[in-house]
Amino acid sequence: MKKFLEINKLAKRYPVKGQKDKSITIFENVTFSMQKGEFVCIIGHSGCGKSTILNNLAGLDLPSSGNIIMNNKNVKKPSLDRGVIFQNHSLLPWLSVLKNIKMAIACKFKELDKNAIEKRALHFLEMVELTDAINKLPHELSGGMKQRVGIARAFALSPQLLLMDEPFGALDALTRGKIQDKLVEICDRTQQTIFMITHDIDEAILLADRILLMSNGPEARVVESVKINIPKPRYRAEIVNHPNYYLIRNYLVDFLVNKSSKIAEGIQNKSIDDSEMPHIVSFPNVKPPEQKISI
Amino acid sequence: MSKEKLQTVVLSITILIVGFIVAEILTHTTTTTSKNLTEYEMLMGKNEPQAHVPSPTEVLSLAFEELSHPFYDNGPNDKGIGTQLFYSIFRVMAGYLLAVIIAIPFGFLIGMSPVFYHALQPYIQVLKPISPLAWMPLALFVIKDSILSSVFVIFICSIWPILINTAFGVMSVKKDWLNVSKTLEMGTFETAFKVILPAALPTIFTGLRISMGISWLVIVAAEMLVGGTGIGYYVWNEWNNLDLTSVVFSILMIGIVGMGLDVLISQSSKYFMYQE
Repeated sequence: MKKFLEINKLAKRYPVKGQKDKSITIFENVTFSMQKGEFVCIIGHSGCGKSTILNNLAGLDLPSSGNIIMNNKNVKKPSLDRGVIFQNHSLLPWLSVLKNIKMAIACKFKELDKNAIEKRALHFLEMVELTDAINKLPHELSGGMKQRVGIARAFALSPQLLLMDEPFGALDALTRGKIQDKLVEICDRTQQTIFMITHDIDEAILLADRILLMSNGPEARVVESVKINIPKPRYRAEIVNHPNYYLIRNYLVDFLVNKSSKIAEGIQNKSIDDSEMPHIVSFPNVKPPEQKISI
Repeated sequence: MSKEKLQTVVLSITILIVGFIVAEILTHTTTTTSKNLTEYEMLMGKNEPQAHVPSPTEVLSLAFEELSHPFYDNGPNDKGIGTQLFYSIFRVMAGYLLAVIIAIPFGFLIGMSPVFYHALQPYIQVLKPISPLAWMPLALFVIKDSILSSVFVIFICSIWPILINTAFGVMSVKKDWLNVSKTLEMGTFETAFKVILPAALPTIFTGLRISMGISWLVIVAAEMLVGGTGIGYYVWNEWNNLDLTSVVFSILMIGIVGMGLDVLISQSSKYFMYQE
């Protein structure tokens, strides 16, 4: 099967100030691929270059070496085929919620007339339950509402690949939970292909088909690719009862707390071979228990 | 009305009344009667009314008289205050609008292109601090028309704040918004009009407001130089007539019109403000 998205030996280096031929490597040898309809999360400590990888995928920033191929085409610049949800929502503050979305739709679907654009915008605002706020300006909305507008805007463009840069990072835990549930529901319905950065392990397990783990920067690598074999759609209330849940969770916590820094050391002094990375990690398929464990 | 608002109004009115009374006392003149004057003193015009700083009541009565028929025209030396203000406002508007038309596109160019920014920076830095009136002799020689010359002076003084603020506003558009326009595959012109312009408008309006203020300051001085018509000429003409009441009255009118122009810009800027 032909892969939808392929990332080959991606690397990003920055020149060191004052020293002409020296450069600092943020990440190197980043190789992975994605299938259509797959939800992939990437986790790593700050400074490992997650956001840079996402910007490379979006085409907003170019890698120092390596290439990204989507649908047999090299990714060189931003495109409407790849939507981005930014961490700080990035709504245009002088446009109302509805106008923000209508503007984006008008950019992608140039053949639609005014009524069709409005209809599509309203449909996606309904999807995120914001029909009451369509004429409000972004500053009149709460953080969670703004982010929902951002989600509506991104999904309204039906991009082939949706990139999310810590979309819920700035939200409080309660709001985040609600929006995560909303996202689970939308993803289940649309089968959208998504690449997402997160710091939140639970969020990653809730949403992802696969989690990419990065070692610490500089010279970060995508070390492992962990398959999340918990049936979808998953719900926050039920997922904790699945026997694989804590197995995966503990594995991820252990990686981030202990392994990521050791691997980084190993790579820096070249004692670890990175040619086979990312290693594929999979957990045995355990059937969910018949009864829920009562506490 | 809230307590604070009431206090504000009361204080404001008190200042007006106290100022009025103090000015009235300071400008009070004793009218000398011809009885106590010697014949020599009378011959020297001591019983004629003396030129003095006018009292507020004198100014008010003149204001009432002038403003009840502001557009009369009794020849070049005696035109109504409305006519004179109209000339001045017209010149300011002409020079100012010309500056807006040129400065905003150039400001965009400088703000969007680092090459233009660095190439034009030295020229702007040299031209900006030149007093606009210093251009007057050159303008008069080249243009050979006093009215157009004063329009040019207004143009040259209002172009810099608009240019610099536009460039600054364009340069400080948030990167996130530009990223949005990039991911939406907007072209340069679409980005300029749909993202950069609305984002930079509040800063551009700051420049527009500063320029309007400077233009109104400069037009008075320019008209004193070139003469003929306008509020600046009116002030200087009344000084030559030693009509100090008219001088004070026109000073007040300059202030009121200046305030009006400022309010005009600041009110229209409200439509383009946004909150993040």
